[in-house]
Amino acid sequence: MKPVGVLRFLGTNCDLDVFGALESLEASPQWLWYEDQFNPADYSGFVLPGGFSYGDYLRSGALAAKAPVMKSLEEANSKGQPILGICNGFQILCEAQMLPGALIKNKGLKFIDRFVDLKSVTQSAWGFDQKIHIPIAHGDGCYFATDDVVKSLFDNDQVWLTYEDNPNGSVKDIAGLLNKNKNVAALMPHPERAMNSWMGSRDGLVLLNQFLELR
Amino acid sequence: MELNEKLKKYRMSRVEYQKACDLVGHELDGIEWPLFSSLWSEHCSYKSSKVHLKKFAKLPSQNVLEGFGENAGVVDLGEGERVAFKMESHNHPSFIEPVQGAATGVGGILRDIFTMNARPILLANYLCFGDVKADRMEELVQGVVKGISGYGNSVGVANVTGKTEFHKSYNENILVNALALGYYSSEKKVFTSRESLPGHWIVYVGAHTGRDGIHGASMASQSFDGDSEASRPTVQIGDPFYEKLLIESCLEVMDRNLVESIQDMGAAGLTSSSFEMASKAKVGLKIDLDQVPLRDSTMSPEDVLLSESQERMLLIIKPENYDEIVKVFKKWNLEATRIGEVLSENKVYLHWHGELLTAIDPDLLVDGAPEYDRPFVEESNSYADFKAQSLTGADYSKTLLKVLSSPQGMSKSWIYDQYDQRVGAKTAFGCEAPYGVVRLPESERFIGMALGCRPEVMRLSSSLGAMDAIFHPALQLASGGFKPVAVTDCLNYGNPEVPEVMGQFKTSVESMIEACAALEVPVISGNVSLYNETAGKSITPTPSIGMLGLQSQEMDLVQDHFQEPNNPVFLLACPQVFWNGLWAEMNNIAPQASGTLDAAKVSEFINLVYSHAHYFKSSKVVSRFGLGYHLSLMTGQCGFKSSGNFNLSFDETFYQIIVECSKETLSLSETPSKPHLMFHDFIEAGFDVALLGETTETSDMIFDDNVKFKSTELQEAHQKGWGDAFKRL
Repeated sequence: MKPVGVLRFLGTNCDLDVFGALESLEASPQWLWYEDQFNPADYSGFVLPGGFSYGDYLRSGALAAKAPVMKSLEEANSKGQPILGICNGFQILCEAQMLPGALIKNKGLKFIDRFVDLKSVTQSAWGFDQKIHIPIAHGDGCYFATDDVVKSLFDNDQVWLTYEDNPNGSVKDIAGLLNKNKNVAALMPHPERAMNSWMGSRDGLVLLNQFLELR
Repeated sequence: MELNEKLKKYRMSRVEYQKACDLVGHELDGIEWPLFSSLWSEHCSYKSSKVHLKKFAKLPSQNVLEGFGENAGVVDLGEGERVAFKMESHNHPSFIEPVQGAATGVGGILRDIFTMNARPILLANYLCFGDVKADRMEELVQGVVKGISGYGNSVGVANVTGKTEFHKSYNENILVNALALGYYSSEKKVFTSRESLPGHWIVYVGAHTGRDGIHGASMASQSFDGDSEASRPTVQIGDPFYEKLLIESCLEVMDRNLVESIQDMGAAGLTSSSFEMASKAKVGLKIDLDQVPLRDSTMSPEDVLLSESQERMLLIIKPENYDEIVKVFKKWNLEATRIGEVLSENKVYLHWHGELLTAIDPDLLVDGAPEYDRPFVEESNSYADFKAQSLTGADYSKTLLKVLSSPQGMSKSWIYDQYDQRVGAKTAFGCEAPYGVVRLPESERFIGMALGCRPEVMRLSSSLGAMDAIFHPALQLASGGFKPVAVTDCLNYGNPEVPEVMGQFKTSVESMIEACAALEVPVISGNVSLYNETAGKSITPTPSIGMLGLQSQEMDLVQDHFQEPNNPVFLLACPQVFWNGLWAEMNNIAPQASGTLDAAKVSEFINLVYSHAHYFKSSKVVSRFGLGYHLSLMTGQCGFKSSGNFNLSFDETFYQIIVECSKETLSLSETPSKPHLMFHDFIEAGFDVALLGETTETSDMIFDDNVKFKSTELQEAHQKGWGDAFKRL
């Protein structure tokens, strides 16, 4: 299997965590530096890690979405290759318009770090049966889209994950989303922080394996 | 400007001025003023505390790779792994401007760590606020938490533990102490600030220099006069994004062995970093101040020397590595600029657009700094003899709920929910637990970080409080199977020119040393913050402690709340000091206490707890508000039922620990009917072992038929305190 490309922007701070998690799953991760373009065919999939690219200045994800590496990612997307965005990666994918809607400040306006329970909604290959217990850590995690977009998300089976107890005010409790074509998936919670029982949960494995199986 | 005005501007005393003149051989002139003012400030020179701090050197040091004198201490954990850690205060700036004051406190302590080539993996903070209803307190709490979370979350270092205190002695002078720990895997080398040779170049990297923080060090070395507003321009502004780039770029150039020596520009900025580097390496420097990248071209050389702009580093490099270094920093969108070179003659030459401003021996400013053995008065510990007080069932029930929601007893989740506790994917225990736990990537062993110093004990007695500041976190770590390895401290005191304050300081240092010696742990780094007083009123003397523990035995992590029903719950005790504690303070009763701490005995107890920790399913050290309060914090997942009469009281005993064991471990003891035998070694050593009761299926806490609590009401009380205290937060 070809390697998984991990995008790295200035300020990204979950890069090493995601890289390590993918290594432990034998997915042979490789760095993709923000200034460089790449050939999508050299990779089996792509991950955009979380964590304050460009210090969240301007808007979370806004500056990263304009980095040169995103041109190649757009190309990979048009070829239908699997792409996973985590936290800031979700924000970047929205800013790059590879996913609809936007992530705005949490209800309550504060950063929130805690474990949450998730369930899967989609009937697509991204779906699963069990409930998932993993951590969130974000200030801008409130998913927002206009009513007609939200309706289309459900009509098109694009809602990947929802919160059991909505922590941030996201519309329809949305925690994770798919694009129409079902090759792009993104979520606000951090699967790479729930890989071992000593971390408090191993449920992150379910989500990362789901992505890896779709390659 | 006449002399008196200058002394005032540069915050120097006449005596010190005279000493400086004698050293340089003439009246201070031009640029010499700011140099002496900043390097001889309390903040940079430790002139009042050095004489006592030297006593820490007596402690065992076989695992210490770097101690005082470097940016942070480094200890060897075996298996090739090492960690660097240190705690530092940012009290004065945080009171003036809480968001930036606290944020730059985090930024500064992180730089102390990665300067030494350790990758920061853990943050912790020790905060003391005033009475919750005091003027500005809501704003200060909100601001400090926003500052810490905004900075730490963005640079991406997990904030895994903290301690927050409220007391009126901090009304006009809050404490913000930040701790950072960095990790070296086996192939990483420790870098220091003392490796420079003549011919090396001095390279400035990071943010441009601006006017922020000028005179910050001397500001932090003075008491507040009540007009903190006017000091705002001396507070620095932090940029966590820049810091993150600086972390990655600095670690990269060190990894590739492109630098010889490295030092961050902290208090007193370029002045202290350059002069200290020169003095330590016994070399001279030639610095072209006009080459320093500036935010504002109208800055004077004095401004450039004293600016405390954040996110800046000074590197000493071999000239042949310059081009490669510039390339690495450019990759991270940062600039590296050559600003001078290292000379063999032990003199620092400062130039400004070709003009020589001064040529001065750095040792005059660093080693020549005044050192005082200030007069002190030993404190007299006068308090009434302790008389145990039990409450009736009805009174106890009502009061426990009140205590759970009091500022001293309430949950602090409002604070720590705003900290990223898991970035780095190494966190096992975050802020909810009594101490933080992270996993070392290479050996997969766990380390624990526990904070010490209970201000209420310091208010009772500096000697007792300072010993407890060591023993309490050590017992917490031991209760989870972590062996104490090393300590960092942050000594926050009032005005050292007041003999009573100096007495508190001296007693505290000696008591901490006594406790550390008994435990055989070194103090490897730290910081002293004096002049924590406003309008003549000093804070509670507060020696905050960060203690590192290592878990090297094969065992499961020990949780801090009950795990499964029908398990026996024991109380293990080394009863030495009895008192009415915070409970007395809350009720405005005079403190009563009896007993003293026998350091050897307490250490023996802590070591036994450590060696028995693999039997524990869950454990908790009993401290403020006594046994019932701590049992209530352990219920939720399971409940608790007392097996005999329960002493309904908020009194406190040093030291006690509640442990839950599994039924299976009981069968390991020779006589299952006498489960105490598992704790045979404790009994042998003269410690107390008592069966308190057992865990239950229902989550309630039952002391007897009349005194029982629903777990939901306990949790509600614990959670609602914050909202009661701070209506707008």
